[in-house]
Amino acid sequence: MLKVNGIYKAYGTQEVLKSACLEIGSEIKVLIGINGCGKSTLLKIIAGIIKSDKGNVLLREKNITHLAPEERRVGYVPQHPALFGHKSVIDNIRYGMRNGLGSEELLEDLLSMLGLNDILNKKPGELSGGYKSRVSLARALAPEPEMILLDEPLSDIDAAVKETLLPEFRRVTKLMNVPVLYVTHDPAEAEQIGDTFSVMQGGRVNDIDSANHAFEIIKKDKLISV
Amino acid sequence: MNKSSAQTKYIPKDIVSWFFLPLFLLLVVFPLLALVWNLKPDGIVRTLKDWFFWRSFKNTIIAAFAASALGSVLAVGFGYYHLFHKNTFTYKLANLMNDLPAAIPHTVAGLALLLAFGRKTCGFISNTGLAFTLFAVVLAMFFVSYPLCARTIASGVDGTDREMVDVARTLGDSPVQAYFRIVLPLMGESIFAGFVLAFSRALSEFAAVVMFGGNLPGSTQVLASYVFTKVEEGELEMAVTASVVCILLSLIIVALLSIRRRKHA
Ligand SMILES: Nc1ncnc2c1ncn2[C@@H]1O[C@H](COP(=O)(O)OP(=O)(O)OP(=O)(O)O)[C@@H](O)[C@H]1O
Ligand SMILES: [Mg+2]
Repeated sequence: MLKVNGIYKAYGTQEVLKSACLEIGSEIKVLIGINGCGKSTLLKIIAGIIKSDKGNVLLREKNITHLAPEERRVGYVPQHPALFGHKSVIDNIRYGMRNGLGSEELLEDLLSMLGLNDILNKKPGELSGGYKSRVSLARALAPEPEMILLDEPLSDIDAAVKETLLPEFRRVTKLMNVPVLYVTHDPAEAEQIGDTFSVMQGGRVNDIDSANHAFEIIKKDKLISV
Repeated sequence: MNKSSAQTKYIPKDIVSWFFLPLFLLLVVFPLLALVWNLKPDGIVRTLKDWFFWRSFKNTIIAAFAASALGSVLAVGFGYYHLFHKNTFTYKLANLMNDLPAAIPHTVAGLALLLAFGRKTCGFISNTGLAFTLFAVVLAMFFVSYPLCARTIASGVDGTDREMVDVARTLGDSPVQAYFRIVLPLMGESIFAGFVLAFSRALSEFAAVVMFGGNLPGSTQVLASYVFTKVEEGELEMAVTASVVCILLSLIIVALLSIRRRKHA
C-alpha cells in the first residue's frame, strides 16, 4: 500500500505540485495529466530521486520520505528505457539483485513471461524498442520492489508492438502483487492496463472512475487554458 | 535607406580567400615551415647523438604521462561532483579554479608551486624541497594540464543519460556506486580524450616546468627547455631538430585522437 500525503514541489518560483495526495493498494493505477503538469516530478519524489518541499510518502505504513532512493524498494521504469549500455541484457536485469534481493524463481518467471531468454547475452544497443522496454521492466521488477513506477514506458513504441506489450506488462506487474503507478498520455493504453485512474490537474491528483472521464477533464482544462 | 543598409551589409564573396587564408598561411603555417626549412642534416645528426637530447625526450614523455594520469584521476573526482553536487560551494570553487591555470602566466604557476612545495615546506626531503626534481616537473605539468581533463570529463558527464543514474539509484546504488559502475564505464571516450589533451598540454609546458622543476640537463630538462638551452648556446640547428621532434609528437597525438574519434563515430 502506497500513501502520498500533501506533496508540494516548486522549481524556483514555478509551483508544480500543490498538496498532491494519492493512495494505491495492490492495483495498477493510471495517472493522466497534460504535458508538464508534474507527473514525472511526482514519480521521482516517490522514488526518492528528487526531494519534495513538503508532504510525506508512506510505503507499507513506513514513512520513506527522507530515505535515499537506494534505501527504498521502489521499482522505476523511465520513459526512455535507460538500459546500461556496457552491460548485457541479463546483467542489466540482475543489477538490482546484487544485495540478495529478489529470487532466481522470480527471475526465471520474468524472463519467460517477457520472452527474454533468447537475448540474455545481447547488448542493449542490439535490441529493438519493444525489447528494450521489456528489459527495462524486468530490471525494475527483478529485485522484488515494494511498489512499481512506470513513467510513460511505452511512449516510444509503435502502436502495433504496443498492442502485444500492454497485456504482457499488465500480467507481469500483476504478478508482483504490489502497488503500481503508471503514467500515460494514451486513453486506449490507460483503459487496457489500468485498474483505477487518477488525473493530475493544477498540482493536485484526483481519483476518477474511468480513463475516458480523465481525458474529458483534461480536454476541458486545455480549452480553458488556451 | 534600404539601399545604404544593404550596402553596409555587403560582404565580398571571396573575403575568405583574399583575407583570411593568406593571414592564416602567414601567421600559422609559415612559422612552422620555417622550422622545417632550417632543418639541416648536420644538426639532425648531432642532436640524435646528444645524450642530453634523449634524456630530455624521455623526461618529457615520462613526466607528461604521469601528469596526465594524475590529472585524469583528479578529473574523475571532479566529474563526480559535477554530477551530484553542482550546487555546493566546493564544486563551484573547483569549477572556478579550472579556468585559473589557463588565465595566469605560467611563470606565476611555477612560482606558486615553488613556494608550496619548495624548501620552506618540504625542506625535510632535500635542501630544495621537491623543487628541481623530475617529480616537480610532473607537478608543474599537472598543474597546467589538469583543467583540460576536468573539462573534458565534465562534458562527458553531461552527455550521459541522467535517467540511467536515477534507475541505478532505485536499484540500490549509492551515488558513488552509480558513478563508478554506470557513468564511468560509459565514458571511456571522454576519459581518453581528456588524457590525450592533457598529455599534449603537458608536453608543451615550459614556464611552469622551468620555474619549479628547473632546467638541469640530464635530470629535469624536457624538450621544451632543451630547445631553449640550445638556442641560448647558439646551437640553432640542434634547437631546430628538437623543435621538429616536438611538432611530430603533437601531430601523432592529434592523429591518435582523430583516428579514435572516427572509429567511434
Ligand atoms: N529540474 C527541473 N528544473 C526546473 N523545472 C523543472 C525541472 N523538472 C521539471 N520542471 C518543470 O516542472 C514541470 C513539470 O515537469 P514534469 O516533468 O514533472 O511534467 P510531466 O507531467 O511529467 O510532463 P510530460 O508529460 O511532458 O512528461 C514542467 O513545467 C517542467 O518544465
Ligand atoms: Mg514526464
